[in-house]
Amino acid sequence: MSQGNGKSLRVGVVRNEDGSLALTSPGVGVWRLGPSVGRALLSGGGSASADEASCGVLSVLGVDYRLLLPPGVAGRVVSRLAAEEREPNVDYGARLLELAPLGGAEAAAAASGQSASAATGLVFRAPMSGRFYLRPAPDKPAFAEVGATLTRGQTVCLLEVMKTFNRLALSGEDLPERVRVLAVVPADGEDINRGDVLLRLEPG
Amino acid sequence: MSDPSPYVGIRRLFVANRGEVAARVARTCDALGITPVFGVSEADREAPYTRGREVVVLGRGRASESYLDAPRVVQAAVQARCSALHPGWGFLSENPVFASLCAAHGVTFIGPPPAVMQLMGKKTPAKRAMGLAGLSLIPGSDGILADADDAERVAREVGYPVLLKAESGGGGRGMRIARSESEIRAAFEDASAEALACFADDRVYLEKLIEKGRHVEVQLLADRYGNVVHLGERDCSVQRNHQKLIEESPAPGLSPDELARTLAAAVRACQQIGYVGAGTMEFLLDEGGTLRFMEMNTRLQVEHSVSELRSGVDLVAEQIRVASGHRLSFTQDQIALTGHAIECRINAEDPEQGWKPSPGVLTRFDLPAQVPGAVRVDTHVEVGYEVPPFYDSLLCKVITRGATRDEAADRMIAALSELICEGVPTTTAMHRAVLGSAAFRSNQYDTSGIPGWPASEGR
Repeated sequence: MSQGNGKSLRVGVVRNEDGSLALTSPGVGVWRLGPSVGRALLSGGGSASADEASCGVLSVLGVDYRLLLPPGVAGRVVSRLAAEEREPNVDYGARLLELAPLGGAEAAAAASGQSASAATGLVFRAPMSGRFYLRPAPDKPAFAEVGATLTRGQTVCLLEVMKTFNRLALSGEDLPERVRVLAVVPADGEDINRGDVLLRLEPG
Repeated sequence: MSDPSPYVGIRRLFVANRGEVAARVARTCDALGITPVFGVSEADREAPYTRGREVVVLGRGRASESYLDAPRVVQAAVQARCSALHPGWGFLSENPVFASLCAAHGVTFIGPPPAVMQLMGKKTPAKRAMGLAGLSLIPGSDGILADADDAERVAREVGYPVLLKAESGGGGRGMRIARSESEIRAAFEDASAEALACFADDRVYLEKLIEKGRHVEVQLLADRYGNVVHLGERDCSVQRNHQKLIEESPAPGLSPDELARTLAAAVRACQQIGYVGAGTMEFLLDEGGTLRFMEMNTRLQVEHSVSELRSGVDLVAEQIRVASGHRLSFTQDQIALTGHAIECRINAEDPEQGWKPSPGVLTRFDLPAQVPGAVRVDTHVEVGYEVPPFYDSLLCKVITRGATRDEAADRMIAALSELICEGVPTTTAMHRAVLGSAAFRSNQYDTSGIPGWPASEGR
């Protein structure tokens, strides 16, 4: 995430029940140069260019990381962590800034996040929780790609469970012998839960 | 055996680990009057062993964003005003860059000097150094494998079966066996990928697989004044996929002469490389009765408790002592290794279902009664604990000691019958079957199979 001559990190966002936001520390370090109470914060359209997007600096062993707002966040600072302390030490997840919403713009952005598409048709689900890997090694081809035809028993991904790599074979009572991949649902390296849909399939 | 000298200098110690070892280190801190501060991931924030303790939240659950992020961990130790850091096992415990980073920021790393870790952590230079000190070696690749082609070439030279091992590995991770040329590429890729995920280093090397071997290791302790002692050996031959399940000491069936020769050479080797702290040299006992050096773990090991029970030494206290610049509190002559000790690692895995690790919530967790010197239980969990999916599956260790091997094993079976865990499957029943089996009792097994398991095979 480094850009230009400086390094940057995105702060975390916690949405409170009343619609206000809290911005949280993405790491452990000394928090400096945070915006003052009353300041309006607005994330840039995508390229974080403006100082407006800065939530201060996190110093980790003397290296400064500019803290940026994630996309789709807008608000006015109503309070900051340890207001009496200019440069507090913070943990990961520490609530740095509390924001009051600016207007209706960000509400729309937040809503677009989740659209639970009904899982009709054939799917292959994760038999256990873990981290999903699509490739045997970072520079190797994917086990399963959209449009590819798979047969039962074929390896479709790696699942890292408690530091052990497991090869997942295509299986399932309702699956035909050959299937075609319509979609690979998790991103490579994503943490998934048991029962999550990994592949959307159709008879091949 | 205790020395009344104070542990000057360390008042606050950062525990840069999680789970059982974090709880273990804290126990010694409490005994020494040191305040432990735990670095925890978000997933371990509510862990029982952190209750009422000082913590710094490092980052997200996955280790690369918390326990494995060296600058993050050192920054956390500094801002928690800790003057020392215990790395535990796994994670950053054998990372010399991390040890150097600690030193650069005024934090005493509880482990050997970074240069020695560098030498012994890189398995191939370590083999060379140990060979020079007079230890026997296993044939294999001359250093790191460049790629899958290289693996194939070396394997052909050495002869199948072969074992691929992570250069920065430990704890059995990043290892794969290839029995023929058709398996070598997948084995290389899987070992590399697992090594990258576990140790942030995808380099692997190759050794001839000695199939009928026994795993024997030597526990060592050294101070910075050249004093080195051993606490005897441990046999860890009951394994599955290089994951140790049962460890014991003394090693059954090992000739006293070969043991004495190896213990002396191991102590000499530590002196030659300037080792400081606790460390373990691992050997393969081949069918000819020779102990061949595999690797040195420059850290505390999970099974250190076996040697503690036999010797009465607190290994973590000695680690802290020598890291602070003190001398070892005893000499070799003062060490008495008595009785026979056995440790069982209880994991949240289901041996009946392909040893599948199972995250979940413990709905019941009753532990055996502890008896000083005879039954010891080390754990970091309790009823209501949720086993997170990010880390290894160890739930607890049970260690027993008896006058003889049979007595220790009988005591273990009795202790395990008191261990009741519900909510996640465990390996407890497997352990009881193994300890009661004729194969285990008569010492007829090696690292290629688990004696007495599966029980139906009647081995």
